[in-house]
Amino acid sequence: MKKIKLTISGMHCGSCAGNIERSVSKVSGVKSVSVRMMTNTGIVECEDSVSDEDLKKAVAKAGYKVMKAEKE
Amino acid sequence: MESHEHHSMNIDGHAQHATVQSESVEEIEMRSWKRKLIWAWVFSIPIAFLMLSERLFGMSLLPEEFMIPALLILAFPVVFIVGWSTIRGGMRGFYTFYFSMDSLIALGTVVAYLTGFFSYFGFVADYSGVSAMIMAIFITGKYIEAKAKGRASQEIKKLLELGAKKALVLRGKKEVEIDITDVQIGDIIIVKPGEKIPTDGVVVRGESAVDESMVTGESLPSEKSKGNNVIGATINQDGILYVKVTKIGKDTFLAHIIKLVEEAQGTKVPIQKLADKITSIFVPLIIVVALISFANWWIFTGEISRALGVGIAVLVIACPCSLGLAVPISLMVGSGMGAKAGILIRKGEAIQTMKEVKIIVFDKTGTITKGKPEVTDIYSIAKESYLLEISATLEKLSEHPIARAIVAKADLKSYKKVTNFSILRGRGLEGKIGTKKILIGNRTLMAENRVDIKKLDERLQSFESVGKTTMIVVENKKVLGFIAVADAVKDDSITAINKLKMEGYRTVMLTGDNERTALAIAKQVGLSEVIANVLPEDKAKKVEELQKEGFVAFVGDGVNDAPALKQANVGIAMGSGTDIAIEAGDLVLAKSSLTGVVQAIHLSRATFRKIKQNLFWAFAYNVVAIPLAIGGVLQPIVAEIAMALSSITVVMNANLLRKTRI
Repeated sequence: MKKIKLTISGMHCGSCAGNIERSVSKVSGVKSVSVRMMTNTGIVECEDSVSDEDLKKAVAKAGYKVMKAEKE
Repeated sequence: MESHEHHSMNIDGHAQHATVQSESVEEIEMRSWKRKLIWAWVFSIPIAFLMLSERLFGMSLLPEEFMIPALLILAFPVVFIVGWSTIRGGMRGFYTFYFSMDSLIALGTVVAYLTGFFSYFGFVADYSGVSAMIMAIFITGKYIEAKAKGRASQEIKKLLELGAKKALVLRGKKEVEIDITDVQIGDIIIVKPGEKIPTDGVVVRGESAVDESMVTGESLPSEKSKGNNVIGATINQDGILYVKVTKIGKDTFLAHIIKLVEEAQGTKVPIQKLADKITSIFVPLIIVVALISFANWWIFTGEISRALGVGIAVLVIACPCSLGLAVPISLMVGSGMGAKAGILIRKGEAIQTMKEVKIIVFDKTGTITKGKPEVTDIYSIAKESYLLEISATLEKLSEHPIARAIVAKADLKSYKKVTNFSILRGRGLEGKIGTKKILIGNRTLMAENRVDIKKLDERLQSFESVGKTTMIVVENKKVLGFIAVADAVKDDSITAINKLKMEGYRTVMLTGDNERTALAIAKQVGLSEVIANVLPEDKAKKVEELQKEGFVAFVGDGVNDAPALKQANVGIAMGSGTDIAIEAGDLVLAKSSLTGVVQAIHLSRATFRKIKQNLFWAFAYNVVAIPLAIGGVLQPIVAEIAMALSSITVVMNANLLRKTRI
């Protein structure tokens, strides 16, 4: 298990954060995801097998961009 | 040591990144909104003139046949270049099913723009100018909103910037300036007057007053001399301090506070649930409603232009933004205000629960009192020095504040060996010195051991009734005397408790002390109820019992009171100095004063009021505006202005929370 902090750009309302949470939680191996629109960040708890790339893709799928992914 | 270094580099690097980065995301977005704003209006102002001239004066600035092409050309860059990210993001929703606010604006503007072409075929009026106006107003709204959002997080940003970048370190006899990330535990740092203390440590030399208001909210500077702890990021005022570093990087007080505040922003307030549920289905729902409205108007009036206008108005007036923003932005302003005053909101839920709280339970030691007891009297049947000596010998082995007071009073040079020692929680100590069996403790312990204290009783009572705690000392079942210890009440306990009582709270004190001592303290501070003789492990149980009579907030020091803090509906943990009880409380106070409790309660209530206000406005806006748009009362442009105003209002209203005095 690991915890990853994503810095996300392009969010500007509550439904944005919801979309990202929905999209990222569908990635297999992701245990929990909490996106904070106000701080432009998302905290993802996931299996070690999940790559940053997987998360970036999921965020992009919802229409937003990951600026940075770092391990907590 | 190496791991420490790695640690500090990593974490500090991380903290700095976070600063630079969260700013950069916001800054990049701000800049881009601003650029968009300017370009959108460069094209939209001429559009407005063209449209207005026709509508207001009935004459056109351009010949009829040029009008539509001119609008189409001018509107194109606004909608499809300046608004491209919105259009792309929004349209994506239609095949990924991740709808957002952008989907509504994208659909509305694109449809409006296309009418310009269709109008050539004569069956629909030209809305292409309108499409540019909608986009320009949308961008303006977003820009203002982004600015206000930035303001909402200003306190937290200030916290992040608070940390020092450099430190002056003593290396041998030389003073060397190094990067804060290179400072290690055990280093001696030199802090000159007027400078920021680089990191947490303990003073080894020098005396000075230190302004700690930025992290504890305590406005009076605190006097520091050898042996005192200092907090990184606080400001040394008038003397030079030599500080031995005890904490670096992520372990510092400031780092803890920042982490708490950041984490709290990710927590949800229960009242938000409904708003979240609505926002998640809001956009697709509105699209359906817009389609139905369009179809209805077309069918019943036969005017496709009118029907399109209504459909577009419905799309652009609906505002999930204000709904989605209402709670988090209020929480952000509230928690920022709190952080500035040394009040950390750990769970958004606490803000909502606080409103229901009727009973406030206080722990006594360290909460109402200073938690630093001192020996005030010794009553000795045997020789006083002997009584003190054997007491200190046993108490030396305990960490209890009272034990420390006795040890300090005796100030022994050396200690005899103690065997069979045990701490009897909530009652006292026992052990053997040589062959002598020693007991030190309260009445309960004496009763348990069948020690007769009748002769002492009157004397004990006289001390207890003035709020002193008495520890009876027994050697081989023979009473030697007792030691009276007093723990002074904090300066602001009386005013704070008075305020809470005036606000209608039931105030209760919970303590392990005997009833008489507890009542004396309660009387001093004006508390109406006392629950005495509570063993530490039973505190949570007592809170549970009180919960049958109403919602309970428990105020305690977090270290010993963790179970009671958890059991209570709202746990308010008091930190003192650098020890901050992070895990246990829903609200955490960085300063150790009851005034902080009053402030925390006021802040919670004010923040929750703001949340409710914002949710109300956001709901009310949509409930009123959408039907008006469906009814065809509002023009698309007016609808868009209303939408922009509604989310700006929510953000600005949240910022107004700052006007509340806590």
